[in-house]
Amino acid sequence: MEALRCDGLCKQYGKIEALSDVSLQIEPGRIVGLLGPNGSGKTTLIKLANGLLTPTSGAISICGVAPGKDSHRLVSYLPERTAIPTWMSAGQLLDFYGDFYEDFRRSAAEEMLSHLGIPLTQRIKQMSKGTREKAQLIMVMSRAAKLYLLDEPIGGVDPATRDYILSTIIGNYNPEAAVVISTHLIADVEKVLDDVVFLDRGRVVLRSSVDEIREEKGMSVDALFREVFKC
Amino acid sequence: MLRKLMKHEFRATARVMGPLYLVLIITALGTNLSVRGMADSGNLFLNLLGAMVAVAFTVAILGVCLMSFALMIQRFHHNLLRDEGYLMFTLPVSVHQQVWSKIIVSAVWFFLTGAAVMLSLMMISLDVGVIQGFFRGLRAFFQAITAYYALNGTAILLELLVLFFVGCAALCLQFYAAMAVGNSFANHKTALSVVFFFVFQFATQFISSLLLSGLDTPGMAQFLANLDFQLRGMAAIHAGIALMTLLTAIDGAVFYVITVYFLKNRLNLE
Amino acid sequence: MKWEFSNDAPIYTQLVGQIKMGIVSGSFPTGERLPSVRDLATEAGVNPNTMQRALTELERDGLVYSQRTAGRFVTEDQAMINQVKKDLARGHIQAFMQAMTLLGYTREEIIALLEQQGQEQKKGEDEHGSTAL
Repeated sequence: MEALRCDGLCKQYGKIEALSDVSLQIEPGRIVGLLGPNGSGKTTLIKLANGLLTPTSGAISICGVAPGKDSHRLVSYLPERTAIPTWMSAGQLLDFYGDFYEDFRRSAAEEMLSHLGIPLTQRIKQMSKGTREKAQLIMVMSRAAKLYLLDEPIGGVDPATRDYILSTIIGNYNPEAAVVISTHLIADVEKVLDDVVFLDRGRVVLRSSVDEIREEKGMSVDALFREVFKC
Repeated sequence: MLRKLMKHEFRATARVMGPLYLVLIITALGTNLSVRGMADSGNLFLNLLGAMVAVAFTVAILGVCLMSFALMIQRFHHNLLRDEGYLMFTLPVSVHQQVWSKIIVSAVWFFLTGAAVMLSLMMISLDVGVIQGFFRGLRAFFQAITAYYALNGTAILLELLVLFFVGCAALCLQFYAAMAVGNSFANHKTALSVVFFFVFQFATQFISSLLLSGLDTPGMAQFLANLDFQLRGMAAIHAGIALMTLLTAIDGAVFYVITVYFLKNRLNLE
Repeated sequence: MKWEFSNDAPIYTQLVGQIKMGIVSGSFPTGERLPSVRDLATEAGVNPNTMQRALTELERDGLVYSQRTAGRFVTEDQAMINQVKKDLARGHIQAFMQAMTLLGYTREEIIALLEQQGQEQKKGEDEHGSTAL
């Protein structure tokens, strides 16, 4: 069964159409880049998959389950913003994830935190912006989920942190799960992707594998992206 | 899962309320000492210190009351409608559980705040005997009404507790509904939340006055006059509490439906 | 081992090339066990599926072999490794010859240039060696 499936998915905000007629299937075991310029509907799609928005029309499902309480068990979501409560200590954050998610691998998370030199007593509030983002990513990737939805995981971080984030993703995801990474920084993620989906003004304009693009067009996905979205 | 939500909700709130209760108790003890000794000591410094402790105690009472109230609003707004909402609304729990965890935890803090304030007020009076006396008096009171009306006095206490809880829930839900509606808009979220709170307040008052004027019609008067039952003593009190609880519950239920609907279908996290 | 990728070829073919290079140069010694797919992928910063594809290709060529439980190993067949080395060298030479021809050199001129360069390098190394003593 598809890890993520959309059928004729539309989302309008008032009169503005954020997504129009998106049909998409993402299979388990694939790492998929959801690529498009700002405002192309990437975040809207991810929010719909998380049940944070309701579709105007069409359907979306995760492993055959409609977004909601039951799909949340299967999805590990990294929001664009840092959403972990700042009053918590790292240890309390581990408690929180462990309490709510049965697939949370606490020991893996602890190891990654200690690798970064974050003591369990440190409060999120006391961490730098970059460390907070890393801590959140560690929580998300420590789950053995069926679908990972990572919204702009490498936006606004320095190159070293970017490398850390990408290696944390590929080093920790459940190989039977699908990973969706939304970003506009294609050159950086290209190497870790199996497939790409180009979104433009709410529509899917290209669906291909990275190898296919490189083999058939003889150019990187980044170069193709620049060509497709030339201003 | 509700239990787990409440556990973490208590964790988030206890770190604020706990220290405040401690300050309350310490200033109450201080005031007790000042009443006993410092104020009459004739020593200017002790007089001044005593007065300051008494002022601090008053501020502390005000502080815990305001804080338990502000925390009710802040937790809902911050935890569900701002950035943390991304985390909370993607947990494997239902929106109902989210709202109930917030209501229950707030009600518990309201109750504990009331209890802490009463305890501290007893503490400033001269000695431990007063506190013992209070509880002894309370027991005697219930024993007396139980004996007199042949009804269980503790039943009344329980009913009042239920009314208190329902009242707290209804109060919280009016704020929650206003915030849920206000934050469903793209802009001016906070201002609109305030506006909707007053809209709800006005609507509640309007409807209840409509109901009251509905009671004040000849037909209703006739109906009531023809009713052939009588309530006496405790039975009347029971009925009164039950009616009040019911009305408050209906009020709360309306806001509950609004809150859940907007959180489920009109959530608009930035 | 350092992993670098260009933009014009599929990642898995580049991975094949770099692992071959690693085997020839001894970064992955003959007969030794290779790291797991996930570890290799993490190290190279690539998708584990892509790394898997590259290793499958190398397996088909016989340069690595897998043992059901123990993992993947580099071949012990030194002749095969030498052959790969030769192939790699031929590739480099072809590219070099192409570039030189573009610059307008003939075969003889190129060979002469190479010899001259070789002698200079040798001399430089000798001098360097003697001063170091």
